Amino acid sequence: MSSSGIDTVTLELVTGALQAARAEMEALIDRTSMSPFIREKKDYFTAFLDREGRLVVSTSLTLAGNLVEAILEQYPADTMQDGDLYWYNDPYSSRGGVSHFPDMVFVMPVFRDGELIAFAEAWGHLWDIGGMVPGSISPQATSAFQEGIMIPPVRVMQAGVLNEEVFRIFTRNSRFPDMMRGDLKAIMAACALGKRRLEEIADRFGVTAVQGAFDHMLGQSERALRTAIDTRVADGEYSFRDFIDCDAVTDQPYSVHLTLKKKDGRVVLDLSRSDDQATGPINFLMDQSVPKYMAGLYLTMHDPNIRMNAGFERAIDEVITRPGSLVAPNFPAALGLRSHTMIRVNSALFGALALATGGQASAASSVYVLYYLRGRDTATGRLDLCIEGLAVGFGARPFADGIDAVYYVAQKNYPIEFAEMEFGVRIEAFRVHTDSGGPGRYRGGCGIVRDVRVLADEADLGIRLDNCRYPAFGVNGGLAGRGGRVVVNPGTERERDLKTMSDGHQLKKGDLLRIITSGGGGWGSPLERPAEQVRDDVLDGFVSPESAYADYGVVLAEDGVTLDLSATEARRAALDGPRGMFHRDGFFDGADYQVEAAE
Amino acid sequence: MGMNDHALALDVGGTFTDVILVSNDGDLWTTKASSVPADPSRGFFDGVDKILGLSGVTADAITSLFHGSTVATNAILEGRGARTGMLVTDGFKYVLEIGRAEVPRRENLFAWVKPSRPVPPRLIVEVPERVLLDGTVERVMDEDACRVVARRLKALGVEAVAVVFLHSYANPTHERRAGDILREELPEAEISLSCDVLPVFREYERSMATALNAGVQPIVGRYIGRLRDGLAERALAAPFYVMKSNGGVFSPEQAERQSIQMALSGPAAGVRGASYVGALAGIEDIVTIDMGGTSTDVSLIRDGVPAVTKDGEIGPYPLSVPIIDIHTIGAGGGSIASVTEQGALIVGPRSAGADPGPACYGKGGEEPTVTDANLVLGRVPPHLLDGEMVLDPALAEAAIRRFVAEPLGIDVISAAEGILKIVNNNMVGALKVVSVEKGLDPRDFALCAFGGAGPMHGGELARQFGTRRLLIPCYPGILCALGLLATDLQYDFARTRIQRAPNYDLADMAATFQALERDAEAALDTEGVASERRRIGRSADLRYAKQGVEITVEIPGDGIDTGSVARLIEAFHDLHERLYTFADRDAPVEIVNLRISATGVMDKIDLPAIDTVPEGTPAAPSGRRRVHLEGAFAEVPIYRRENLKAGHAISGPAIVDQLDTTTVVLPGQTAITDAYGSLVITDTEA
Repeated sequence: MSSSGIDTVTLELVTGALQAARAEMEALIDRTSMSPFIREKKDYFTAFLDREGRLVVSTSLTLAGNLVEAILEQYPADTMQDGDLYWYNDPYSSRGGVSHFPDMVFVMPVFRDGELIAFAEAWGHLWDIGGMVPGSISPQATSAFQEGIMIPPVRVMQAGVLNEEVFRIFTRNSRFPDMMRGDLKAIMAACALGKRRLEEIADRFGVTAVQGAFDHMLGQSERALRTAIDTRVADGEYSFRDFIDCDAVTDQPYSVHLTLKKKDGRVVLDLSRSDDQATGPINFLMDQSVPKYMAGLYLTMHDPNIRMNAGFERAIDEVITRPGSLVAPNFPAALGLRSHTMIRVNSALFGALALATGGQASAASSVYVLYYLRGRDTATGRLDLCIEGLAVGFGARPFADGIDAVYYVAQKNYPIEFAEMEFGVRIEAFRVHTDSGGPGRYRGGCGIVRDVRVLADEADLGIRLDNCRYPAFGVNGGLAGRGGRVVVNPGTERERDLKTMSDGHQLKKGDLLRIITSGGGGWGSPLERPAEQVRDDVLDGFVSPESAYADYGVVLAEDGVTLDLSATEARRAALDGPRGMFHRDGFFDGADYQVEAAE
Repeated sequence: MGMNDHALALDVGGTFTDVILVSNDGDLWTTKASSVPADPSRGFFDGVDKILGLSGVTADAITSLFHGSTVATNAILEGRGARTGMLVTDGFKYVLEIGRAEVPRRENLFAWVKPSRPVPPRLIVEVPERVLLDGTVERVMDEDACRVVARRLKALGVEAVAVVFLHSYANPTHERRAGDILREELPEAEISLSCDVLPVFREYERSMATALNAGVQPIVGRYIGRLRDGLAERALAAPFYVMKSNGGVFSPEQAERQSIQMALSGPAAGVRGASYVGALAGIEDIVTIDMGGTSTDVSLIRDGVPAVTKDGEIGPYPLSVPIIDIHTIGAGGGSIASVTEQGALIVGPRSAGADPGPACYGKGGEEPTVTDANLVLGRVPPHLLDGEMVLDPALAEAAIRRFVAEPLGIDVISAAEGILKIVNNNMVGALKVVSVEKGLDPRDFALCAFGGAGPMHGGELARQFGTRRLLIPCYPGILCALGLLATDLQYDFARTRIQRAPNYDLADMAATFQALERDAEAALDTEGVASERRRIGRSADLRYAKQGVEITVEIPGDGIDTGSVARLIEAFHDLHERLYTFADRDAPVEIVNLRISATGVMDKIDLPAIDTVPEGTPAAPSGRRRVHLEGAFAEVPIYRRENLKAGHAISGPAIVDQLDTTTVVLPGQTAITDAYGSLVITDTEA
């Protein structure tokens, strides 16, 4: 028997059934949704929460926090009925339950014998919810009021009856109402399916067993993370600061500062020294669970049976933020590009962990890239909206290379043959960004190059490509990744570079847009990377022969294929020397990498 | 079949090569030979020689030969494909490497390592050419440049080349011309064109199918060459067919070109076998569960036809060619039970495999497996394969005690029960994936359990899953081989032709179907299929405008007119509702791909009927054994499968032992032996 009084086998059975039900919800959304964001990019997630609103099983993603708390404040549990469906997208009234406006959260309470036992939840990123530009997100936004319709927690379905009026108001605010309706149908059907499956699970095992299993799963995750912190982090304070290139509206860089404090069994993450909130839309209204989930996923990754859930929240005692700062902005700060800050919360946490563990933490990853190409047909005025997410390179790890050409968890790029069908563009090249991965014993992941020919008569362009001024840092002797670039009509007389985080660029038919994304940091000394792996990276185009020589000390013979072993040995000996814990524009060991260092 | 015809089937699996020989006089022989993973043709011919010796049938009396093979499967899963090069459109060298750029949904992003691709970028070369989505040539292919890169690949020593140009499904001219040039420059290499392998949109998935096809072609070719030689040595000249992943068979000549179609040859044969014994028992709607040592395959059969998918996977790769929709989970008889740091009991995905195998094998395996749990509970007899193999219950008990019972603070019997409950729960999850998740009610289906471990778990799975009937085939260990004898020639052809509501171009659809039918007829011509044996089926992939996943809907009849299209759309709405809980009858519907499936109907064997006794005659047990069922040990009657005659009834609790498996009949269940030796088990209480 486990501590919860439910036998071990039943616990495992309930857990398995919950996982299967959640996968089924995802499959439903996957197959029926309509917008490019949800159907091809797969920007949707599902979860089950216990009756207190604590997350029990979900996609392992660290973007948002407590999904149900804000609903319970507006609609106390004792007023909820079977067949209710609740909805919101407002980060402010949910205090970070969701972190930018296009993400629509739907939650259904689940009842058995008249008693609330759990919640089923599904959310997805909608294509357009109004706001200042088609697609709703603009790097230029300076206020939440420019980022689309705000929906506080509302009861969109009461006891199974849909409030059609709310839907009409909402879809009236979208530039693509049909697509919106299709996606909402898919997400709502998934919620209803999750509710039904949870009812079946409760019928099969009994409500007590389900509650016991929930508690047990939370307890497992909590204990696993506590043990990991206890064994790997000595008492002390570890601080790290990481930088965002700019806020896309001004040229000013912003930083996230994180201190990991551990003393007498108490663990605190203090982000209060992060910069003030930004003018542009990089503000991240961060729920306290976010850095806890990041730490939990990282520190328990060796055990595939540990699930991301609210147990991680209990293993870390406190998260401190300062109101009015980048990670706790005041209404109505714009939030559309919050992932730039979210990824820096992650890399600052890794920096602190590297200091706490003698370098046993991943190097920094670059932030995924999006561009917003809003094409117009001059004769008809028809809008051709192309929003593409582009892959970057992730940070190298103490056990493996960083992932090459990757976006983020669960989200896919568009097939070229799909993009050309839907978006009024022609993709003319799609390659790996050579040398963008930071050199290391484990190499940082490489970014990509995408060439996009504009076919619309005219178009304006917003772009968010980060880690150029402040490339993803390397750890434990590994070097930083290399930043990207955005260039129009490269190699012609009309060539011009665009600011990599900006909006409002005018393009016209025939222009070629080249987007070159940033790589991840390296881990460990590149001189220790086996020469054969460096040679293979050269042959495959991830590393240039020049970087093989300059950074890895690997020399290839004239044929460009054979290793010159003696020259390599000599070169590596010549390059050998002290290396710091971190690298970006040179090595640094201290907690605080200063802004000036990069200027 | 004519008089004195003999059909021979060989299914080469990882451990055993299963062989069946059937004559139309009602004689049937089966045997097993050890597989030889290093050279599967040796296991094949050991099997051929063994069965010919056993039966006394001469090679010239064999009139047809069927073969299921894991040669392609293993080459892909173990990364042992031939050295493969690839030609791609200028600018797209990294199509495989970049893929869809995601960390898979179920993975921890900090831990996940991207699996290596079947063709590395260094062997992928770009060709100046460009076709647009409507098939227009934007940039004519530079043939000289193509020749130069072909020579470069030759210098790099490739044995096979895949050609994947953008939008080639809309206009294959460039791919075909590049194929010609490659054949001139690399006459020894196998060439795969994406317009032949998978002519539908989405370049990454198409590239993967083509690259995998190219990589396994030389391996399949060499293998088939060895089979041809060996058959010629034995003067075994019967027509020879190879199992495809879609549940049909094709000729060795086709297998050499479309090798990727063999990726799931083995499991597909098992599903085919289940549909065959189901049909003999009068059961057409079946969920199959093939439980082996390390993994379990689950699939669905409706109206006697196995479900097919276009969104399959093989290992870490997408596999978008039509295959029988088989859901595989990493749990089987050899799956290891353990307790995690956090005190949870888990079973699998680690497996003890055949070596060292379960603890009870006494071959050095220390950790407890599902088989050990079955042994401790008395469900498996301590002797297998008629005494060839002795199991040691004390070793099983010790392993369960040390690794499960003591860490959890429970007794050994409860621990063994827990192991079985967990593995059964995982399997029921898989059964639901292929049925409940597709909007189907388990009560409308029978469960067919086979593989070495399936019949042992079938009774509990059927109850938990909620089916009314459980079917245990006569030869559960060799159902794949039997399935080979129940196949037809089966070809699928598809083309992307996007039609948007309400302006469906009926003439274009009709013309596309005609073109596909010509391809289909040509394939059947090649196989020499007589016209009265040909069946042509038409279907289309539909979706609501803006959706990204299509549903395949059959189109009955011959012509395409407004009426047939209206019926097609209506059928799509209905299917959408069944699959996904809702339909949107006001939304515009798109027709995306048109498909033709061409069947050449083959003669089927007549599985010999067994002797009969009056229906319901109680069978006589051969002994009794202490078995733990439903929470308690009891002395349970044991029956020998080979003694059962058609009509014999067994009331649970009971155990039916046979050479290669054991069937558990639970209290409250009744097993009736049917005319062909299958056990049909029903719950008397239900």
